[in-house]
Amino acid sequence: MKIKSRRTFFKTTFLTSLIMITSKNSLFASITPLQTLAVVQEDLFPKEMITQANAYAYVNLIFKHSRVSAQDKQFLRNGTKWLNEEAVVKYNKVYTNLSSKERQNILEIISNTSWGETWIKTVLSYILEAVLGDPLYGINKGKFGWKWLNHTTGLPRPKEMYI
Amino acid sequence: MKQAYDICIVGSGAGGAPIAYELSNAGYKVLVLEKGGDLKEEDVSKDELAISRRGLYTPNLKDERHIINKREEDGSITRYDGHEYSWSFWNGSMLGGSSNLMSGYFHRMKPNDFKLKSVFGKVKGANVVDWCISYEDLEPYYEKVERVIGVSGEVVKHSFLEPRSTQNFPYKKLEENTVTKWFDKACARLEFESIPTPRAIIPRNALDRNACSYSNFCGSYACATGAKGSARAALLQKCNAEVITEAFVYKLESDASKITKVHYYDKELNSHEVTAKIFVLAAQAIETSRLLLNSKNKFFPKGMANNNSEVGKNLLFSAGGSGEGRFHFEDLDEVKQKELMQTGLFFNRSLQDWYEFQDDGLKCKGGTIDFLFEHANIISRASREFYNEEGKLIWGEELQDKIHKRLTTSRALRFEVFNDWLPTDECFVSVDEKTKDKFGMPVGVINLWGHPHDVKVGEYLAKKALEVLEEMGAKEISYNISAAPPPNLVAGGCRFGEDAQNSVLDKNCKAHELENLYVTDASFMPTGGSVPYTWTIYANSFRVADIIKKLI
Repeated sequence: MKIKSRRTFFKTTFLTSLIMITSKNSLFASITPLQTLAVVQEDLFPKEMITQANAYAYVNLIFKHSRVSAQDKQFLRNGTKWLNEEAVVKYNKVYTNLSSKERQNILEIISNTSWGETWIKTVLSYILEAVLGDPLYGINKGKFGWKWLNHTTGLPRPKEMYI
Repeated sequence: MKQAYDICIVGSGAGGAPIAYELSNAGYKVLVLEKGGDLKEEDVSKDELAISRRGLYTPNLKDERHIINKREEDGSITRYDGHEYSWSFWNGSMLGGSSNLMSGYFHRMKPNDFKLKSVFGKVKGANVVDWCISYEDLEPYYEKVERVIGVSGEVVKHSFLEPRSTQNFPYKKLEENTVTKWFDKACARLEFESIPTPRAIIPRNALDRNACSYSNFCGSYACATGAKGSARAALLQKCNAEVITEAFVYKLESDASKITKVHYYDKELNSHEVTAKIFVLAAQAIETSRLLLNSKNKFFPKGMANNNSEVGKNLLFSAGGSGEGRFHFEDLDEVKQKELMQTGLFFNRSLQDWYEFQDDGLKCKGGTIDFLFEHANIISRASREFYNEEGKLIWGEELQDKIHKRLTTSRALRFEVFNDWLPTDECFVSVDEKTKDKFGMPVGVINLWGHPHDVKVGEYLAKKALEVLEEMGAKEISYNISAAPPPNLVAGGCRFGEDAQNSVLDKNCKAHELENLYVTDASFMPTGGSVPYTWTIYANSFRVADIIKKLI
């Protein structure tokens, strides 16, 4: 077995490694960014579209992308921690254990903060990329997103992914 | 070391390629060094994710950045690291440069653009000068560009139509969206002179290139048919000049009077040298000045051709801004709804009624307004809908419904204002010795300031554009004129002129201080005119090619 380089290790664990959520200076829970992001995506855009867009998997691709900066990746990850901290403060539960209504309340609360507004827009942008980008990237299944908006894509379409 | 060439050109865009084309076709041994990668028609795609959202054609800011020193209103300077602030001044780093990605809105400069100081007088705080050549000197080369690069359009009489040596364009205008008729009628009612915008795109197979396919993805994307008159498709693929891509020239070497060699890194960071009789720099305005400033030796301790400390000065952008109005289905009958949603066809319309205008009895320089539909990029368009009418961030079904309604039952017509960015002492290129790029070279510093007069003129023009949108029945009309620099419209830094004390180049675009160094990108321009630069860059480069042919 090959020993993973530090960089490879970083890439593959960035979304699956645990984030510690603390409350009143003590450990409350541990979560993975991927779990939280999957739920947040469905809270921010209709589930049927998220599924057809394969938006869950697209987040993985974004975290591996050579042209998404380390700061942007870190912000996406940090946002899941801050979101959960907000959930713990308000409901004493991590975000994924809240009811749908409670999760919407948390999104409303953070949307009124500077970081929260930017973070929600960031997640939404990646969702729309998955809904409307070229299916070559494993997204926008059956071009459903383009059909949704009567969009005719430019030709020629890409032959290979740029990541 | 690479064998000796007659001509070595740094940069393969609109400034460098005409020299390569003309000199290689005249039988000279020409080498072009291009920092970006190779590109052919078969490589091109319209991948919005790669090109518009992930910067496929531009360097990664982590590896190559600029420092921006922005001068604030109170005179203080704020330093921005281009990487930290995602502020990019890169355009197209590829064979043919950013001409691959241009929209190809082609306007000639007007005769009075060449004598701005004489005609319009001094402006306090600006270094306005007359050019050392006239429109008449450049006109034959504007005409040559029409034939060789391929410009399509229809000449119509209007108040500021420049003198032409031919009656019309060699290529008929491209197919147009029917909404242009709404525009023409509105202009007629307002007594404005609607002009079909000339485009550097050929509408039929010609010049050993294919016709436009009306892909609907033109600006910001390379052309898959070769119809767009990029320096690559129109010139480099049509000549025998040798091209080395992924070759970053980092230093020029000289003796007291001549450039002796250039040094470049290949993609593995191996260094190479090239010798030639004549060297031509056309690396894009900011990068050309940076290369000169980074090339110091005992003869030129402040940088190559910079013993008079003029290199980098009077950096220009295109002043102005943009705006838009939106047409909604509920205001239109079925026929007009279909016309509005036609895709692929061009909206080629411009206004130049106020290229010059009177303000408080004074003759003022104005500019050009180009109209076009919002870009076809679907992700970008959808991403503009994140807020509701109250300015509140929305998501879920509310966002889904808003995106669907806006993108399927309305369309925005945009306009872009082009007016002079006045040259000043506060806007210039320097280098940051402490901040290095991935090649270990000091990065370029953009010292940024826009003269307040530029915004005043831009506002005047934008309000005229708004009148047209209102007359057409558009809603949600808005505009933004500011001193923000458009990174794809850069010029100056090595202005040409008769006097070596206040210019870098002579009228032939040869460095005053060196016998065999020419600069043919937009760096030479002492003022920018009130039109996009590309046609003028091409024309001037063809002019310099003729001069070099006579000398060599």
